[in-house]
Amino acid sequence: MDSTSGSQQQSLNRSHRLLLFSVFVIATCGLIYELVAGTMASYLLGDSVTQFSTVIGAYLFSMGIGSWLSGKVDGDLFRWFILIEILVGVVGGCSAPVMFLLFEHVTSFRVVLYAFVALTGILVGLEIPILMRIMNAGVEFRHLVARVFTFDYIGALLASLIFPLLLIPYLGLIRTSLVFGLFNVGVAVYILYSFRETVRYRRRMATLVAGGSLVLVAGFVFAERIMSYSETLAFQDKVIYSKSTPYQRIVLTRNNRELRLFLNGNLQFSSADEYRYHEALVHPAMQAVPAAARVLILGGGDGLAVRELLRYPALKSVTLVDLDPAMTQMFSNSEMLLQLNKRSLLSDKVHVVNTDAFNYVRTDSSLYDVIIVDFPDPSNYSIGKLYTVKFYEEVSRLLQERGIMVIQSTSPLVARRSFWCIAHSLEAVGFTTVPYHVYVPSFGEWGYVMAMKGHLWHPEGTLPDGLRYINRNVMKTMTSFPPDMAEVPTDINKLNNQVLVNYFEEEWAPYEH
Amino acid sequence: MNTDRPEMPSRREWLRLLAGVPLAAVAACSSKNPYSHITGGIAGANHKVGHLLRDGAAIPAPDEYMEREIVIAGAGVSGLSAARWLDRKGHNDILLLEMGERTGGNAVWGQNKASAYPWGAHYLPVPDAADEELAAFLQAAGVITGYRNGLPVFNEYHLCHDPEERLFIHGHWQEGLLPHFGVPGPDRQQIAGFMQHVAALKEEKGTDGKYAFSIPLDTSSADERWRILDTITFAQYLKERGYTSAYLLWYLNYCCKDDYGMGIEHTSAWAGLHYFAARRGRAANADHSSILTWPQGNGFLADALRAQCGNAEIKTGVLLYRVLPHLDYVELHCLMPDTGKSFGIRAKKVLLSSPRYVNKHLLAGDISNRISGQASYAPWVVANITFSSLPQGRGTALCWDNVIYGRDSVGYVYANHQSLTPPVGKGVITWYLPIQAGSDKDARMQVYKRSWNDWVKVIMEDLSIAHRDIHRFVENIDVWVWGHGMIQPVPGYIWGRERTAAMRPVNDRIFFAHSDLSGISIFEEAFHQGIRAAKELSGMS
Ligand SMILES: Cc1cc2nc3c(=O)[nH]c(=O)nc-3n(C[C@H](O)[C@H](O)[C@H](O)COP(=O)(O)OP(=O)(O)OC[C@H]3O[C@@H](n4cnc5c(N)ncnc54)[C@H](O)[C@@H]3O)c2cc1C
Repeated sequence: MDSTSGSQQQSLNRSHRLLLFSVFVIATCGLIYELVAGTMASYLLGDSVTQFSTVIGAYLFSMGIGSWLSGKVDGDLFRWFILIEILVGVVGGCSAPVMFLLFEHVTSFRVVLYAFVALTGILVGLEIPILMRIMNAGVEFRHLVARVFTFDYIGALLASLIFPLLLIPYLGLIRTSLVFGLFNVGVAVYILYSFRETVRYRRRMATLVAGGSLVLVAGFVFAERIMSYSETLAFQDKVIYSKSTPYQRIVLTRNNRELRLFLNGNLQFSSADEYRYHEALVHPAMQAVPAAARVLILGGGDGLAVRELLRYPALKSVTLVDLDPAMTQMFSNSEMLLQLNKRSLLSDKVHVVNTDAFNYVRTDSSLYDVIIVDFPDPSNYSIGKLYTVKFYEEVSRLLQERGIMVIQSTSPLVARRSFWCIAHSLEAVGFTTVPYHVYVPSFGEWGYVMAMKGHLWHPEGTLPDGLRYINRNVMKTMTSFPPDMAEVPTDINKLNNQVLVNYFEEEWAPYEH
Repeated sequence: MNTDRPEMPSRREWLRLLAGVPLAAVAACSSKNPYSHITGGIAGANHKVGHLLRDGAAIPAPDEYMEREIVIAGAGVSGLSAARWLDRKGHNDILLLEMGERTGGNAVWGQNKASAYPWGAHYLPVPDAADEELAAFLQAAGVITGYRNGLPVFNEYHLCHDPEERLFIHGHWQEGLLPHFGVPGPDRQQIAGFMQHVAALKEEKGTDGKYAFSIPLDTSSADERWRILDTITFAQYLKERGYTSAYLLWYLNYCCKDDYGMGIEHTSAWAGLHYFAARRGRAANADHSSILTWPQGNGFLADALRAQCGNAEIKTGVLLYRVLPHLDYVELHCLMPDTGKSFGIRAKKVLLSSPRYVNKHLLAGDISNRISGQASYAPWVVANITFSSLPQGRGTALCWDNVIYGRDSVGYVYANHQSLTPPVGKGVITWYLPIQAGSDKDARMQVYKRSWNDWVKVIMEDLSIAHRDIHRFVENIDVWVWGHGMIQPVPGYIWGRERTAAMRPVNDRIFFAHSDLSGISIFEEAFHQGIRAAKELSGMS
């Protein structure tokens, strides 16, 4: 063997190894795109088994089309391969961010999803056959096939392991797809500058490479920004408003039937059935104090309870205490929301105070005929404090002797102990209580507790006109609890035991994702 | 009003899926100093003022003098308690001097936008109802709101809110500090056995009819059977009784560090047991192990004492640097370190509520030796850490007291815990480290030498065990170094002769009150030391 053929052999080996390495990289990338699409689909569309299996099926089928198409490819194979790499990189790499951005702006997300799956699949299907044809020169076919598929499968294994273990936890879906796009482009660059055959079109390809990389890198850098749209994905409907305040994240969504308000991802009301919730919150208590002139509302910055209150002409003033000025402003300014609360917050009788309720009740010295307590559910220790005997003691000072207080008290069906714990805590402070419940489709079976200073609940007033849910009959039946919601013994909720938060956590846990 | 809708993917899950670890984290990992964004400094330079004392001779004698009836030096809990007591007994010419800018001593506190926070002492266990002096003070301070069935009703705002304590062990936050998560059965049995042992000791009495262990500790039984325990270390005591579980010993070591600034190897067995067996607190609305706490820690109590000092005059920023006993008065030399000016006082009676190591420099000769004795102190490092959010690990949610298993530090308390307002982003935690290495002078030097940057690193490394990447969320760290944080009840200190000797007044003109004189540095001891000395001063003991 002479020296020239030896070095030729060597360089052949080198380029061969190089190409095998490319096989490995593109195989990894290929599977990553598939996983990205599958994950996206199962999270966005739900039903992960169906989503994953249809995405995988479609992807593999598209790869088949790609392989078939590769048969039609002729001419400079290097050129084709490099071009395809750049394309796979850009299309596959951008798949996650683009699908994600389009999700709520397109009527059928599935079309976008499968278009991406098909396009990526076809391009990925083209890669290996073309690469094999390039490598075919100088290697025996059976070795070639063996090696190429070995690396193909190793790449797939690697992808399937690092995707859930490293990529998703550390990079996240969006950056993962972008990074692997860059890897594909990297392979293009690698080949472009390692083979003499590519000299003629290096310039032109380099421009393409630069463009593609730029897009991917920009996506990577702005991933956070793209992410800020992410919450829209957590909601089924179109997000029409969202705002982060120091206290919470406010999101309004809308579909053609209803408007929904979410605070920190928790549904506060749906315009479709909130009348049930708010009528039930306000009227039973008001009926017992028909001459009520002064009312205090704690929480309820949406003005919907106020709307119900303003139906009583005897009412002189409503003080509404809500922590978050952004909430009360939003419900005083937005035309759409003003329609919903009938401009209640703009009424002369309404006095809005933006402060936290605990400190408010500790410092206020007025007396109220009716007090309406409409806080978020006791899902954490800081909200839990607003359901303690200490809090009820403080509010009790502000309630007229013949007055009445009503507290929204979570679902007696889902959270039976939580519900009765609230009633028992009120009783521990000396209140007599009237627990009741109604059905609100968006929430399910929902509970409230009325609390009075020793007297009984006599709903004697005349109900205002125009109510859609509460009537005499409903008020009669709502205080009866079927066995599955009937009273259970509980501890009393105090600042230094916070049993309610524990009950609540346990009882709602099966419903959380 | 409602919770997550079941059919919706949880938002948090989505965010995690989409974003992974935020880019900032990746960037922070790669940059050389991950703490460069953290602001802060070393606060509490009291030791510098204290060092003036040692060079007291260099300070010129004052040329102006004033006359006072009673002068109290040191406005810590003991000094404030003495002033309060004397004022209530009708003494109307009391001057209280404090070298610090603020009163409170080891119970001082600070404040920023996120919260008020303690710089030292931070809680008081529900006290024994039999302690009438303390109960009266607490009632006047609004901590006790009344009595029900003969038991005090504590202000529920001041009782520690739930959840109270958690321990990070085996990668998980468990509820409570007694290790149980992942702890093998035999260890749990030993732990339960020890707890039963000390529960029984609580009710034990000596031949004199007094409880074996009491607060204030001078009311404990004089029975040799118990006092002999002050001659061995707690570690020895435990070994003799066959307590070997690593988890139990860790816990006991943690407790001793927490209260005495040193481990079981150095703590007197009597003191070690006192921690568990002296508290017989009862309440109408809390259980015996409940504690009282405030965002500003015991600063609340110190301020309440001060508010009950009536007409007593309080001067801060005044260092007493020399005490000269005369036949019918005591001459005091004072310095205002801020201005460098000094002045003198001729006082009828003086009550020194400064620590023993300070008193040594104030007086001279035999008296100095008698009152200073062999007291040794544990240095403490306390850090107040302001964060924008606190990443949590698995298990129990953020509590008031949060401890990490197996660390030098004794964990941190959450200053916002007692707040009734929902947290608005920022919060403050107060982190505690007793320095145990070497002799106590070496340890002190080592502590003073460390820079703020060194401490930030130590603190962040300690906390990151339980809070991954916590430094990213930390905005500010202020560090306070207590060179002589706590008196150490080493064997022989509490029931040795020196301690009683150090309490004895000089010429019926100079009196001593400080928790050092108990040997156990807790609020109740300081409070009673103040009253004891005040009684002696007014001839009522
Ligand atoms: C880090 C730390 C945490 C603690 N945590 C707790 C806790 O949670 N619960 C608890 O009960 N106890 C705790 N303690 C113990 C605490 O020391 C006592 O509760 C109590 O505050 C001690 O009060 P004192 O009056 O005895 O002493 P000090 O607080 O030391 O008061 C002495 C005062 O004298 C002043 N002074 C000294 N020399 C002079 C001088 N020459 N001239 C003028 N003024 C002078 C000092 O500035 C100081 O204000 C803690 C201590 C430390 C160090």
